[in-house]
Amino acid sequence: MNVSILKTNRSAANGRTNITQLLLNNSTLILFVAVFLIFGLSSPKLFEGNNLVNSLINIIKQASFTGIIAVGMTFVLLTGGIDLSVGSNMYLSSVVAGLLMRQQGFEVLPALLAALVTGTLVGAFNAVCVVKLKIVPFMVTLGTLVVARGIGTFLTDSKQIDFPQRMLDFGQIHVTFGAIQIQIVPIIAFFIIIALAYIILTRTPVGRQVYAVGNDIEVAKKAGINADRVTAMVYIVSGFCAALAGFILIAQIGRLDRSFAEGKEFDAIAAAVLGGTSLFGGVGNVLGTVIGALLIQMVQYMLQFNNVNLYIQPMVRAAIIFIAVFFDSLREANLAKLKRRFIRPVES
Amino acid sequence: MFNKLNRYSLVLVVLALLLTMVVTVSAQDGMTICFGFQDLETEFWVAGHKAITETLRGQGIEVLEYNANENPDRQLEQVRECIAQGVDGIIIIPQDGDSAVTIIGEAQAADIPIAVFNRPPNDRSKGITVVADNVSATEQAVEFIAQKALAKWEATGTPIKPLIVVGALQDTNAIGRREGFFNVINRYNEKYPGMFAEPIEVASEWDAATALANLEAAITANPDVDFLYTSSDFLFPTIRSVLEPRGKWVPMGDKNHVLMAGLDGDATACMLIEQGYVDATGVQNLFYEAELTMNRLLQAIEEGDTQPNEVLLDPGFALTAGNFIWQSDDMWGCKLYREGFLDQ
Repeated sequence: MNVSILKTNRSAANGRTNITQLLLNNSTLILFVAVFLIFGLSSPKLFEGNNLVNSLINIIKQASFTGIIAVGMTFVLLTGGIDLSVGSNMYLSSVVAGLLMRQQGFEVLPALLAALVTGTLVGAFNAVCVVKLKIVPFMVTLGTLVVARGIGTFLTDSKQIDFPQRMLDFGQIHVTFGAIQIQIVPIIAFFIIIALAYIILTRTPVGRQVYAVGNDIEVAKKAGINADRVTAMVYIVSGFCAALAGFILIAQIGRLDRSFAEGKEFDAIAAAVLGGTSLFGGVGNVLGTVIGALLIQMVQYMLQFNNVNLYIQPMVRAAIIFIAVFFDSLREANLAKLKRRFIRPVES
Repeated sequence: MFNKLNRYSLVLVVLALLLTMVVTVSAQDGMTICFGFQDLETEFWVAGHKAITETLRGQGIEVLEYNANENPDRQLEQVRECIAQGVDGIIIIPQDGDSAVTIIGEAQAADIPIAVFNRPPNDRSKGITVVADNVSATEQAVEFIAQKALAKWEATGTPIKPLIVVGALQDTNAIGRREGFFNVINRYNEKYPGMFAEPIEVASEWDAATALANLEAAITANPDVDFLYTSSDFLFPTIRSVLEPRGKWVPMGDKNHVLMAGLDGDATACMLIEQGYVDATGVQNLFYEAELTMNRLLQAIEEGDTQPNEVLLDPGFALTAGNFIWQSDDMWGCKLYREGFLDQ
């Protein structure tokens, strides 16, 4: 009998399991589409004219700032670390760029370079403290959060910096397709960062080493991985991403004040975790983080698009993020259960 | 012998009295005011800080400055430090209305008069509160663009689509500005039914990045917005970056011009009114507010009133494209603009 019936049952079970696994693995993406459809159906305006395309472009553009730092944060989280300094790093590196543009007459690209160097140095400082001084990442980056903002405040005397018009012109560089205009700077930067991060994490030995260090640092060291170098690299990557995100955000708003990017670290962590990255290291991927960043921004966008009452907006936003995290925890539990179920190989 | 001792005693008593008088006089001359503020994020706070500190020091008063870096707990600790140093009076720019209440309570419990500059406490029954009448200043600015909107509506018959960029909803200034905006819209809609469509509210949380994202969403959904009020002038560069790609950032006289008003009266608003992009701004009379704060606090100190409780209002005014030529000198932002603040 029974072998064939057994095989049929097993194959049906496998099919169901595969579907469940597929759904669970993509819960954030499914939630993203569901929320978009729900808001879209409640607002017929979304499907008028070019609104749908324009809205998708706007969401990607607005998510790019948080998305870039979230990608950097994903590297750090994958090693089991955390970088709380990204918001302050965005501020400090933008301050440096702003002062150079206002006081030294720097053009946009040299100012961008200066910002990237500053951000990378902040990341390198974090790396040295974590790797060489063996200080806990949480404490190191918390300290850098305060110090970087303090240095920025000192350099500006707490005053705002109004960037020259050429900075806004840089942010407004666009391409036009009929009636659709796309501001390309943030979108191109976002896609380049996603592509590079995806390739590094999935196609290179360095990426595999990042996962290995996050899974078990001792085992990774025994396998011959230079864990210190990997750990240092992720903080430098995070610093670089923070500086880039800060610069392209400033190119959109033209003005920098002391509260610029305050609390952005939490948005970045939220995006990464929503995308399935574990706070304990070893689990996660860049594409999940990107979906997480897009989900957060899309919820905010659609609430405003539908002119939802300002007092209700934060509650709806929090509820949707709560649901996403809840699904994520269900996914983790179910995936663990499924893995346990198939410890023994299926009969052939 | 006894007489001799008496004489010495008398001399000592006189010397002691003289010394006491000298100490008392020098204490009055060396009055100390504690000035606790949050970061000087915008031009408004920079100018306010300068007006207060320079005027007090000009009067020979020692000013102890404390920057709390937007941390209300740190400001409370700093005020406690001032109290421990025995300052004669305290001026604060609090982080929010709640923390102001706590700090005022702390100062008054120590019998030190305290004044709050521009950002009022949620309970205004305690301390000296000097605050702009946000409702009035907003109404004056929005009234100016509403009159222009009325002319447009009468000419075209198409309802005007208003939009307000709202500040942080926990900030009483933001609430007052929102109220002033809706007062004008409702007044016109009562008098001219159908003139204004349902207003669109855009949250900014006093953060340019948030304002940018939300404004883009709102303008994409409502590309026909032609009437815009921002609760703070500091958001004009952000508004520009949303309107410009859509061909709506154009000066008065262009058919695509969005009627625009703000509030604060900063240097950027001054420049934009002069250039014709912005129609009006409600001005907080900063120098008047600084003077009110200092005069009332110094009066309380002189009178020995340790717990002065009073609310002093600055009604503000509107600088508009109509009165710019003769009234721009009264706006603090225009002074900064002409000093080259935006060229730094």
